[in-house]
Amino acid sequence: MQQISKDKFKVVGNSSAEAETITRPSLSFWKDVFMRFKKNKLAMFGLVLLIILIFMAFVGPFLTQYDYRQNDLMKANQPPSAEHYFGTDDLGRDMFARIWYGAKISLFIGIAAAIIDLVIGVIWGGISGYKGGRVDEVMMRIADVLYGIPYLLLVILLMVVLGQGLGTMILAMSITGWINMARITRGQVLSLKNQEYILASRTLGASVSRIMGKHLIPNAMGPILVTLTLTIPNAIFTEAFLSYLGLGLTPPLASWGTMANDGIAAMSYYPWRVFFPAMFICLTIFAFNVIGDGIRDALDPRLRK
Amino acid sequence: MTEKLLEIKGLKQHFNIGRPNLVKAVDGISFDIYKGETLGLVGESGCGKSTTGRSIIRLYEATDGQVLFNGENVHGKKSTAELKKFNRKMQMIFQDPYASLNPRMTVADIIAEGIDIHGLAKTKKERMEKVYELLNTVGLNKEHANRYPHEFSGGQRQRIGIARALAVDPDFIIADEPISALDVSIQAQVVNLMKKLQKEKGLTYLFIAHDLSMVKYISDRIGVMYFGKLVELAPADELYNTPIHPYTQSLLSAIPLPDPETERTRVRTGYDPAVHQYKEGEELKMREIKPGHFVYCSEAEYNKYKLQYKS
Amino acid sequence: MEKLLEVKDLKVSFHTYGGEVQAVRGVSFDLYKGETLAIVGESGSGKSVTSQTLMKLIPMPPGEIKGGQILFKGQDIVQKTEKEMQAIRGKDISMIFQDPMTSLNPTMRIGTQIMEVILKHQEISKEKAKERAIELLKLVGIPMPEKRVNQYPHEFSGGMRQRAMIAIALAARPSLLIADEPTTALDVTIQAQILDLMKELQSKLDTSIIFITHDLGVVANVADRVAVMYAGEIVEMGTVDEIFYDPRHPYTWGLLASMPSLDNDGETELAAIPGTPPDLTNPPVGDAFAPRNPNALAIDYEQEPPVYQVSETHFVKSWLLHPDAPAVEPPASVKEKIRPLSTNFDKPVLVKGDL
Repeated sequence: MQQISKDKFKVVGNSSAEAETITRPSLSFWKDVFMRFKKNKLAMFGLVLLIILIFMAFVGPFLTQYDYRQNDLMKANQPPSAEHYFGTDDLGRDMFARIWYGAKISLFIGIAAAIIDLVIGVIWGGISGYKGGRVDEVMMRIADVLYGIPYLLLVILLMVVLGQGLGTMILAMSITGWINMARITRGQVLSLKNQEYILASRTLGASVSRIMGKHLIPNAMGPILVTLTLTIPNAIFTEAFLSYLGLGLTPPLASWGTMANDGIAAMSYYPWRVFFPAMFICLTIFAFNVIGDGIRDALDPRLRK
Repeated sequence: MTEKLLEIKGLKQHFNIGRPNLVKAVDGISFDIYKGETLGLVGESGCGKSTTGRSIIRLYEATDGQVLFNGENVHGKKSTAELKKFNRKMQMIFQDPYASLNPRMTVADIIAEGIDIHGLAKTKKERMEKVYELLNTVGLNKEHANRYPHEFSGGQRQRIGIARALAVDPDFIIADEPISALDVSIQAQVVNLMKKLQKEKGLTYLFIAHDLSMVKYISDRIGVMYFGKLVELAPADELYNTPIHPYTQSLLSAIPLPDPETERTRVRTGYDPAVHQYKEGEELKMREIKPGHFVYCSEAEYNKYKLQYKS
Repeated sequence: MEKLLEVKDLKVSFHTYGGEVQAVRGVSFDLYKGETLAIVGESGSGKSVTSQTLMKLIPMPPGEIKGGQILFKGQDIVQKTEKEMQAIRGKDISMIFQDPMTSLNPTMRIGTQIMEVILKHQEISKEKAKERAIELLKLVGIPMPEKRVNQYPHEFSGGMRQRAMIAIALAARPSLLIADEPTTALDVTIQAQILDLMKELQSKLDTSIIFITHDLGVVANVADRVAVMYAGEIVEMGTVDEIFYDPRHPYTWGLLASMPSLDNDGETELAAIPGTPPDLTNPPVGDAFAPRNPNALAIDYEQEPPVYQVSETHFVKSWLLHPDAPAVEPPASVKEKIRPLSTNFDKPVLVKGDL
């Protein structure tokens, strides 16, 4: 047994000031979520893909000498080549330039519709969930009724009344799109509003708007964000679908949907005309979907450390 | 005679009124809280003690009865300004340290919320000064101000909750099971802090809990609740030494004490409401058996107890 | 007395996002047939991890048994495969949990849940199993067992659900019952009933119980022996009388002093233990309790304390029992209760250490 010097046994006590320090670096909630998101390879792939698509939507047109409107009937329906990377359509227009023009339109429609859904849905669902009781019942029944109206009928009605165009398109998609967001928000608010930190805010005298803005919505942001990222591909697809039915945009506007529609008729002869727009629609929807799934997984508390 | 800070008269809090699943969480209780005292409120789950606390601070709209704070009724039709006045006088500390702080806000914002709402600081600097002071008061450091709740332990979070309540300089704090979710050694830290603050700031507490030994330590007087009714109210020592209501007796006999010899010889008494044998139409109310010691009973029982416990 | 369980130097870690958390850092204890061992500790002490490791319920990954042995009836559980463990769980070792609402399947009748255990480990008919289930419900004090056996958990009150859990746990007559904070979520009167029930069943069925709790009152009520855990180690272990009437470790003193006794007048401050338990991703060098110990010695910050034996049954892991250590007084409230125990050795004996 090794001898231990006697002065090792002097009472030294504890340092209580140190006892309260936190050594790990501060990590806000969103930083933590993003770090977990980064680990999800598929989600990161989707994010990179989306960034590339958006980048190309703006830079793409500069990579070719042709303009999206420029038509040359002599060059109609040419397959992809070194001059026309994606080929040409029936009016001799360069598909490559048109794809990137269409990207801007499709993405714009998707994002605009989603933002409108977000604003209306969050406010509607938030108030409904927080107030509860009669107010909640009435607001949700209105939403239910609107949801029940046949969608296509509504769109056709709008087209007739307002005429076809970009604005009408976005309006058509937002008219019932917000309901899903409202339901999600309401669900979140319902589950959060009896949490003790909300009660604490109430006892401090916080107004309803303060509670909603500073406490409820920030904490409900997770599922709202996930819904948002899944609404966008939905809107893009719906636009494509409506365009396919002939209810979509009219020239000179062109989205991937209208391009796909134009290309369908000649699919067996000039497949590239439908292939490229369809492929990009799929890629965009795929990207948003995996990003949305990635956010949902990153938010899941059960997967937390 | 110390003045009364709160008078609760016939407070009733019912839920689901008009529906088959009516719950009479609080069913007509009356008691006073004196300035500077700590009143403990104990009972088992479902007795209504938490609901009582929340009704007093008007988190629920009382079904019936009055809550008079310095003579003014807390309930009833009030303007926003009047309600805000009460918010500054009465505050609350909650049970769950993990749910009582907004996970998305920094500690500084959490503590300063009351300051922000009531405009108690003119400049950003003043606001942060107050936050640092409050952190200090509860035994935490300045560096903690920019951190998030999840970085703290349960005991530390509870202290942040106390700092938040103190930020508006209240006279009265309702502590709703503030230590139940904490480890034993941390409970002592928080209780010591609360006692210290009471002395320094002249606070009045309503301490709601189910841990009877801790309640006895911190309270001056204790009320026992059972199924929405207050069944006994007495000074802390008196309640423990001379419990009168059979429910209180059964409750006290069930607490395990950290003493093996006592535990080996303890005899537990159960409580059966039928033991009262109340007759149809008998008036039940709180009656004073000994000075300051009230029991919820019938006239017949009153006479019985008076004889039994002749002081 | 026959030894049922021998845990030798058990080490369990968790591999997490923030690093390796050493939840259990070398725990050793024995359990005899028919006795109740209470494991006391606060959050982060490792008590739940230890007990769940005994039944290998810890998900591995992220958990990992880094070392040690768990000898149950002579066989090492650490080496057993999942299939072998399934034969042991329920039959030889059983567990009851803190929250009866989440540990009972809400969509299954109580009777079926009990029968599930019986039928898995025994070759009997369904009718006979049902009879056994009714008997068990009667044994745990549930009135009208013939009716109750067909009910669902939500039709039972909290206390009754806990009794049902006990019935399920005892259905196959295990020799060891691990109770992980079984009464923490219950009201005090129900808790008293459940504790009485467990003691009664133990004497009837001769089951050994490992009772995990943070409530020293409950410990005084049920335990024969007590192990006090802090930061993944057992810091003191002894009979229940030794722990309450002759505690030697500063953490045990701290726990006992934190609880107000009923004759405490409320004027004196509670002797609280300052600070918080350590972060086990980076366990401190030396004695893990030193930063919170007002009586810490210089050596506490350098070397891990050895284990000293105070009596046949009383072990303490602290430098304070070293012959060169100064005499340190426990807090007043603890000192009042101390009484000399005749079973103590004249001087503490060194058992294990790095010296």
